[in-house]
Amino acid sequence: MRSRGSAARAGTEWGLRLLILALLAGYLVHALRVRYRGATEASDSQGLTVALARWSVVAAPARVHVALGHPPPVLQRDWLAALPGAGTMVAWGSASLLPSAIAVDPVADPAGGVDVAVATPAAATVELRDTLGTLDSVRAVAAGVRFTVPKLRPALEAEVGSVVARGAVHDSLELHRLLVLGTAQWETKFAIAALEERGWQVDAHIAVSPRHRGDVQQGEIGDVDTSRYSAVVAIDTTAARYGDRIARFVRAGGGLLIWSPAAKAPALATLAPGAPGIPIADEHQVPTDTAPRSALEIVPLVGLRPDAIVLERRGDVVTLAARRVGSGRVVETGYTNAWRWRLAGGDAAPDEERTWLARLVASVAYTGRRQVAAPPTDVAPVATLIDRLGPGTPKLDATGFMTLAVVLRWVFPVLVAALLLEWSSRRLRGVK
Amino acid sequence: MSQFVFATAEYVSGDWESAPALPENLIDSVARYTSIDVAPVGVNVKLSSPELFDYPFVWMTGHLPVRLTDAERRNVKRYVERGGFLMIDDHNHDITGQFHKTVTEEIERTFGKMTRLANTHELYRCFFVFENPPPNTHHELNGYGDDLLHRYLDAVLVNGRIGLLYSNKDYSSEWNFHAETKKFMTQDPTKFGVNLIVYALTR
Repeated sequence: MRSRGSAARAGTEWGLRLLILALLAGYLVHALRVRYRGATEASDSQGLTVALARWSVVAAPARVHVALGHPPPVLQRDWLAALPGAGTMVAWGSASLLPSAIAVDPVADPAGGVDVAVATPAAATVELRDTLGTLDSVRAVAAGVRFTVPKLRPALEAEVGSVVARGAVHDSLELHRLLVLGTAQWETKFAIAALEERGWQVDAHIAVSPRHRGDVQQGEIGDVDTSRYSAVVAIDTTAARYGDRIARFVRAGGGLLIWSPAAKAPALATLAPGAPGIPIADEHQVPTDTAPRSALEIVPLVGLRPDAIVLERRGDVVTLAARRVGSGRVVETGYTNAWRWRLAGGDAAPDEERTWLARLVASVAYTGRRQVAAPPTDVAPVATLIDRLGPGTPKLDATGFMTLAVVLRWVFPVLVAALLLEWSSRRLRGVK
Repeated sequence: MSQFVFATAEYVSGDWESAPALPENLIDSVARYTSIDVAPVGVNVKLSSPELFDYPFVWMTGHLPVRLTDAERRNVKRYVERGGFLMIDDHNHDITGQFHKTVTEEIERTFGKMTRLANTHELYRCFFVFENPPPNTHHELNGYGDDLLHRYLDAVLVNGRIGLLYSNKDYSSEWNFHAETKKFMTQDPTKFGVNLIVYALTR
């Protein structure tokens, strides 16, 4: 007859056996679920390298979710994009990724430089840097910011929050000559001087006498076409002598920078964004460093064409406008004595006036393009991420597989402990 | 669009107003030979004033010693370096004269040594073509002053352009007459003055 103690002991052993069987059954069910319904695993940016290796080699989960603190590097992104091919669905989510993109374009300017446009949500802070460090940092006011980097860098990065967009120049520009047309006056002289100092090769036809005998010609003025000239600069109505040739040149892709008084000539009026208005004299104010062009005489642009785009205003009047004609571009300026900015302005005035004029020319200039080797880029990391992996999804529910994972971590020690207890209890009773 | 305005330099020392008929005479020539939009009356502008920068061409002459003030020197340097054209003519036609000695000292103090302008320079052919430049004056040919025929002009070049032109030839005397007198002359001596202005406006 068994004692009460040994009966309780046998009951405990049966209980342990049942627990062991239950745990084994649980493991079996879980294994079958993994096998037939699939498991879900998760990682974040820090653990992604290890997780990718595990998902590819060990676990082969049915579904993974990555909580990203920053866009994954290209290798990890491509790896994630390849996982669906191996049967693992990939989802990602992030609360901190600001969509941003960078565009880097060389400027049609012999002095070089690149235009950088960064698209980003308003109020985001954009830090632009190259391999040597930070170049500038700006808070975006609308849909992005623009930078002009005076020296060509092989690659540029724009950091917006945790997102770093990388861009590079892929084209080298082939600049041709400029043709300047005008009468002998200060604006003509100083426009030529500024453009030559900037590095442009300038041909010029400057009207000096009524019948054009004795006109000053600089360079060999050849055919006005895009194989010789990048742009024509028309200072006044004397440029109309080249009217037909300029029109053909612009329609074929050439650039035209025109001073508004030149648009009085019918041959040029058909190309100009607007007509010349009533001149507003400068009253000999000294151009200031902060707003130098506000001290200059203007002939405002009026009667703008429907396709004209206003680039700059002074109060209510238009001072700069642009339009496209055929394949070419035309910019019209109402500043008719910008030479005063250079001559009478502050210490930086000559350089600033030169840069301003060069930018106007660059905005219309025809250029040939030649592809150059460029470092790897990632111009829109978030957009590319969405393109490769689909849109982000919210973070997975914490009561899901994570709870099961925690439970599973404890099952094995409990199982081993139960087996040991049951075995030692039987051995102590003398039962094999 | 700005007119060409002939400006005469006023400076503190010396006799800057020594050729009073010259501006009107050159304005007449510019209007007579070219289509340049020229103001009918010239102006006088102080070398030390900010107004100097409203006139990219300035004529400076005199007989007496020239000592620029600091403000004048500073302005002249800035003016020439930014693209202004300053013509300085020795009204004495005398390399031993006080104007020449002092004004060349001032120029070299401000800009360093001047460049001798080659007689093939475009200044001598940008409008009228001069076969044996620079054109001589009657004062040279008649032996006044230093009794020399000056074969060259000197210049301060900025980015290859003339920013300051210096002459010992005494064009101030040669061109200092009433414009109407030209009709009694077989050769108009002011044609080189027209070249100076055309060059300044186009180069």
